[in-house]
Amino acid sequence: MNPFMFHTPSRIYFGEETSLTAPDLMREIGGSKVLIITDDVLVKTGLMAPIIDAFKNDGNFEVTVFSDVPPDSDVKCVGSATAVGRGQGCDCILSIGGGSVLDTAKAVAICLTFGGNLEEYQGLNNLSTKLLPHIAIPTTSGTGSEVSMVAMIKDSAERKKLLFGSRFIAPDTAILDPKLLVTLPPKLTAATGLDAVTHAIEAFTSLSTVSVFTDVLCIEALKLLFKWLPIATKSGDDLDARANTLVASTMAGIAFTNTGVGVVHALAHATGGEFGTHHGMTNSVFLPHGMSFNMDAAGDRYAEIARQLKFTENSNNEIAAKTLIDKVEELASSINLPRRLRDMGVPALDGQGVEDLANIASTDPAIMFNPKEATIEDIIGIYERAY
Amino acid sequence: MPAFKNTDELNAVMELLWGTIKDDPGMSSKLIASKLVVRFVYREPEGRLTVDCSDGKTMLVSTGDTSNKPIIEMFMKADVAHEFWLGKVNVPVAILSGKIVSKGPTPKALALLPVIKPAFPMYLDIYETAKKKIASCAE
Repeated sequence: MNPFMFHTPSRIYFGEETSLTAPDLMREIGGSKVLIITDDVLVKTGLMAPIIDAFKNDGNFEVTVFSDVPPDSDVKCVGSATAVGRGQGCDCILSIGGGSVLDTAKAVAICLTFGGNLEEYQGLNNLSTKLLPHIAIPTTSGTGSEVSMVAMIKDSAERKKLLFGSRFIAPDTAILDPKLLVTLPPKLTAATGLDAVTHAIEAFTSLSTVSVFTDVLCIEALKLLFKWLPIATKSGDDLDARANTLVASTMAGIAFTNTGVGVVHALAHATGGEFGTHHGMTNSVFLPHGMSFNMDAAGDRYAEIARQLKFTENSNNEIAAKTLIDKVEELASSINLPRRLRDMGVPALDGQGVEDLANIASTDPAIMFNPKEATIEDIIGIYERAY
Repeated sequence: MPAFKNTDELNAVMELLWGTIKDDPGMSSKLIASKLVVRFVYREPEGRLTVDCSDGKTMLVSTGDTSNKPIIEMFMKADVAHEFWLGKVNVPVAILSGKIVSKGPTPKALALLPVIKPAFPMYLDIYETAKKKIASCAE
């Protein structure tokens, strides 16, 4: 067995309408001037109103709402939210939204806690103390950001992503309220769900960092996702489907934040950075190709997943592993996710363009957790097969 | 037993190691092209080593306090550095567990790991040579 470190700093509360208990939970972890970070869509749909009202009616909180987080947040947005929070003297954060909102809130928590410029805090494990109290409420089932110890923020001006990784970044509390997801459109449900599938599969095959703890989380998350994601996509108001995919996403999040991910994420980050493609959707396109590439190093692990999920009883690892790849492809197709990069509007690149993109992917931190080394040529090969 | 008795020994080993890397065009050209300034901050014993490729033409290696501002800083025990150069450190695990702490745009530094790999098999000789040299100076 590998030596490993397993850590999960966030308390997790699950249940219908648990989001309305956020004021009680915030009181437990401290803070009275709450900065609520969310996006405009959630405010407009009325999803936010009951939660904001819960804080206002509680009588113990001053509430400031920042709802200008774009789909792919950046340094500028973090700066604006920080300025608002600082101006109001906010001492705790509630984030409600998808991965972009939650990552923005993590970065704002860093800035409000330590002051100064966000860029100063880039790095891994370099934060020295706990951040402001932070409760995260995800409204998608995919990113795992509500429990992850990392945040990635785009620097649009410099065309780069800033990486922050520390156990102090993980929110203190994650509230999983499936009712908040019933209005999530099918396409986003499918794409974010495949992001969670990718987390679980890549975490399970991050061979240098896996542990029995992460194995259990990955397998159970995959069982739930393969069963419930098609239902959640087809019938958004099915609360069982929403609940199971939400919990599975958080489980996969705990797993990957302890293991890292791999070449699929590295390519998705590079492609998304270049062409603005949706992260989960891009992962779903690259996943079968990344798995095929990793077959010789991780085939046994794919086979184990296939047998645990009862996709096959075949004892031949290669056949069982290929069954899993077929099942991933089937799942993605069944929920109408694009299967090629070209179907997502990614333009055809010339040789130099592909090489440049492969170079970006090769420097993505995710790649160091891949079960085998991926050269530039390997990455180009995966990209071209996915195109 | 710690790999380095004191800061002088640590500095001697790291200066010889990085001098060897600098003299190897296969490694140094890629490091210089990165234009990075990386500072390694060691503890037990304490030490600092800065590799400055900021002008994109030369690679300056210095120990102790320097005025050049690092783009990336890597913090670790000197023993972890020793194990790293021996090829015995699982870098992903070391990063996840906090044995190696980084400050700054870490992906840029991680991207250079394959570049310095050819120094791994040279390290043990360098380590022993530098230690002998320090010991003979002390006598």
